[in-house]
Amino acid sequence: MSPKASLALLFGVCAALGIMRADLPSFAGDRGRIELNFWNGFTGPDGRTMLRMIRRFNEQNPDVRVSMQRMDWATYYNKLMVAAMDGRGPEVFVIHASTLPRMHRAGFVSDVRGLFEGPEGVPQDDFDPYVLNQVRYGEKFVGLPLDIHPQGLYGNADMLKEAGFVDKDGHPRLPETREEFLSAARKMRKDLDGDGRPDVWGFALTLWRNNFQSLMPQFGGRYLDEKGNADLDNPGNVAALEFLSILQKEKLVPPPENGLGWVGYRQKKVAMVFDGVYMLGDLQRLNDMPYLGGPIPLIGKRPGTMADSHVLCVREGLDSRRRQASARFIKFLSANSVEWAGAGQVPARRSVRQDPEFLKMPVQSAFARQVPFMLYPPRTTILFELTLEIDLAVEKVMRGRTNPAEALRIADENAQRFLDRDRRERGTMP
Amino acid sequence: MTKLGRNLVTGLMFLVAFLFVSPVGLMLVTSFKPESEVLNPESVIPRVWTLFNYRHVLGWAEEAPFGRWLLNSFFVSSSVTLLVVALASMAAFGITRVKAPGGGAFLGVVVASMMVPGQLFLVPLYLMLSRLHWLDTPAALIVPATAGGFGVFMLTQFMRSVPEAIEEAALLDGCSWLGVFLHVSLPLCAPAIATLGIFTFIGSWNDFLGPLVFMDSVRNYTLPVGIALYQTSYYTEYGLTLATSVLATTPLILVFMAYQRQIVESMASTGLKD
Amino acid sequence: MAPYALSFLTFVIVPVGVALVLAFMQFDLTARDQIQYVGVRNFDDALKDAYFWQAFRATFAFVVLMVPSIVVTALAMAFGLNAMTTGRNTVRALLFLPGMFNVAVAGILWQWFYNGQFGLFNFALKHLGLPPQPWLSDRDFAMPSIVVMSLWWGLGGTSVILLAALQQIPRAILEAAVLDGAGHRALLHRITLPLLRPVLLFIVVTNTIGAFQVFGQPFLLTRGGPELATRGVVQYIYETAFNNYRMGYGAAMSWLLFAVIAVFALVQYRFLRRSAH
Repeated sequence: MSPKASLALLFGVCAALGIMRADLPSFAGDRGRIELNFWNGFTGPDGRTMLRMIRRFNEQNPDVRVSMQRMDWATYYNKLMVAAMDGRGPEVFVIHASTLPRMHRAGFVSDVRGLFEGPEGVPQDDFDPYVLNQVRYGEKFVGLPLDIHPQGLYGNADMLKEAGFVDKDGHPRLPETREEFLSAARKMRKDLDGDGRPDVWGFALTLWRNNFQSLMPQFGGRYLDEKGNADLDNPGNVAALEFLSILQKEKLVPPPENGLGWVGYRQKKVAMVFDGVYMLGDLQRLNDMPYLGGPIPLIGKRPGTMADSHVLCVREGLDSRRRQASARFIKFLSANSVEWAGAGQVPARRSVRQDPEFLKMPVQSAFARQVPFMLYPPRTTILFELTLEIDLAVEKVMRGRTNPAEALRIADENAQRFLDRDRRERGTMP
Repeated sequence: MTKLGRNLVTGLMFLVAFLFVSPVGLMLVTSFKPESEVLNPESVIPRVWTLFNYRHVLGWAEEAPFGRWLLNSFFVSSSVTLLVVALASMAAFGITRVKAPGGGAFLGVVVASMMVPGQLFLVPLYLMLSRLHWLDTPAALIVPATAGGFGVFMLTQFMRSVPEAIEEAALLDGCSWLGVFLHVSLPLCAPAIATLGIFTFIGSWNDFLGPLVFMDSVRNYTLPVGIALYQTSYYTEYGLTLATSVLATTPLILVFMAYQRQIVESMASTGLKD
Repeated sequence: MAPYALSFLTFVIVPVGVALVLAFMQFDLTARDQIQYVGVRNFDDALKDAYFWQAFRATFAFVVLMVPSIVVTALAMAFGLNAMTTGRNTVRALLFLPGMFNVAVAGILWQWFYNGQFGLFNFALKHLGLPPQPWLSDRDFAMPSIVVMSLWWGLGGTSVILLAALQQIPRAILEAAVLDGAGHRALLHRITLPLLRPVLLFIVVTNTIGAFQVFGQPFLLTRGGPELATRGVVQYIYETAFNNYRMGYGAAMSWLLFAVIAVFALVQYRFLRRSAH
């Protein structure tokens, strides 16, 4: 075949495919139906649960058609920002409570306080004030929290049982205190082949910063002071990082590496990890994984963990028909959030958390016990830069390269620099 | 080189090829494992073989219309390949043979443009495509892709490595530039053009950011965006991801084999094969 | 040339022009009411930014390791393929196979290979009685590991281009040289390498550009760690522009990267050009 012939062939294929594509039926039909685009980052099993809920909504509301687009959170935020800038953003979308400050400043999220008003409205007191405050800007509410996803403790039931962690009925249980946690980590660490290197670990870190952030509230730590300045090196944060450094010094955790803990936990070579309730989606598909989930053990002075929420937002600048349809859709998701909880979430509404169906979900309801003690990421527009500094501080300490106080001092210094820059550029420098 | 030496090299190359392919083999085998077994290094060969992953990927037609994505991918990639090969070979011919004024400088600008990190283009390009009303249509994936400098640079260098004597002779025989281009230069550069074709096709087939950002409807996605539906920011559904990726790459392998045959045949027809 | 030039002007030069303007602006996607011209401040900031320099060191380490190793091995592969007595097409296809997979999928696979405690490589080492290696968790080890993965992913493509160039050398020229009594060495130095030079230049320049813009492989394998040791310039630009939404600063850093690449490419061009004569 000569190059010309092959080019001609390619051209033919191209033309044929073009015609075939054009012939495929399109969904555009149905005049008068309100089309709502709904974007989120729910790739994976949680997205499939969401799709089922949307299908139900579409069946119950023949005048509205919601179509969902999902992509992983990292790329999702890029696309959302670019599209919103061009005024092409979706009508309804999900973002994390922690990213609201940036979306709010960009003017991409509209005030949805109407959702809480009227006889059909969502009752405000069905939300914990702390959670609702995440979406509040003065009088405005810029979204409705759908769920809460706290970090918690996952354990391998078989390994815990073998190590003697059982309740009075002989069922395996998770450690609940600092002493229990340390002794569990010690007991379940094993060197099976006797080469001097453990092959099975009692505990391993997953996402460094989240593991640390889960301990921060237990020691009374915080991110920012009352004036909004960085306060990463406060005594509470240092004490929380000290605890992780003890794990490192006593060789109770494997050498730090990205994403390592979860892979080991899945392989049953790590008995316990701290991770988010959403990881349940991964565990539910493993047919032979004996997992347990519960609150982060009481390691500091009081219970506590890190959490965030998926918030349902509506784009700025919709006509009233679309706004009303969006409100109906958001209320539907919120009212049915017990189904959503099944995918590995804690519903944001108290009434749904009392639903017997939710109480039957062992891990979700155990994680939900932490709701009164949660610390959300700080409400700041430099969130990404700040959490990167936290990541670096934890990493340096876990490698034994510096001490917690020094690592956090550097992180604090850098974070303050980013805050100052942000204020200077916004012209809001005090 | 002696016969023995050549045989030794042959053996060695097969060994290298085996090393290169083994991870791919592992991927293939793993796509038949149940999720609980995928990351276990102790059982490279599955203890339990399952078609679950493939059934799931192919069976979720409502939200993951695999066939439709396949069609989209084929359409976009073949169009891009066709246009890139046509435009790049013309441009390279203009620069190296017709010696159009400013050709060398133009090539310099083209190569320089390759040095600008592509991430920088994303936002301006999005806004342009939006003004053109091309977003969510295949044009958004096809037309901008023809502007890349790789093809022009590659074909220019290949044409420079082929002596010009043959073309000069054809010109002296009274052949027009168009005639020289179609009947002399294209066949002479057939291996290079076919190679460029493969590269373009693969690059377009695997493009992720473009379809993700420029397409809004699930039915207009291409395959790589579909694969990404099984990777979350926190964990990966390994079995499903690998199964989709095997399904998405198989057509590419078939295309490559077709191209490869064509390279071999075109070399035979131009008498360049040793 | 004209149709390509049109497409090039529209879809490359226009966005590049926009990017050039951006580099002199304070342009934050989340604060569009405060977009303003700031002169060279972004460039100034970049040169004072310790993370920018660190990113440059990481990128540079990748370039220095990657470019020579891929050019030399690809050349060896091309000569090897050319000398094969049988099965050339099969081997070429097999070498090329890894490059057909999406870099995201390749990344998932290799992250598991390299996983220090629970990965395939250390599992294999252990069975051979060797100590495990900190493939991705050691600051000196991580970049070479990323280069190995990149070689696996990219070698096939480069070899195929070089093989096409080798096979494009008209047989008549080689035969004539052999008739003139040229030996293997002379054939290689007088005929093959000089004729290969333009394509070699292409290979070296495109691989250098590609290596300077490395992003996918470290991002997928290490997210830039350990301790940012593998976070290259493009990843830093990406994070600045798309995670922190500071487009202006991201654009300025892109132009600084561009300048460095351009210097390198120019030197390579001069060098490979001059030695041709």
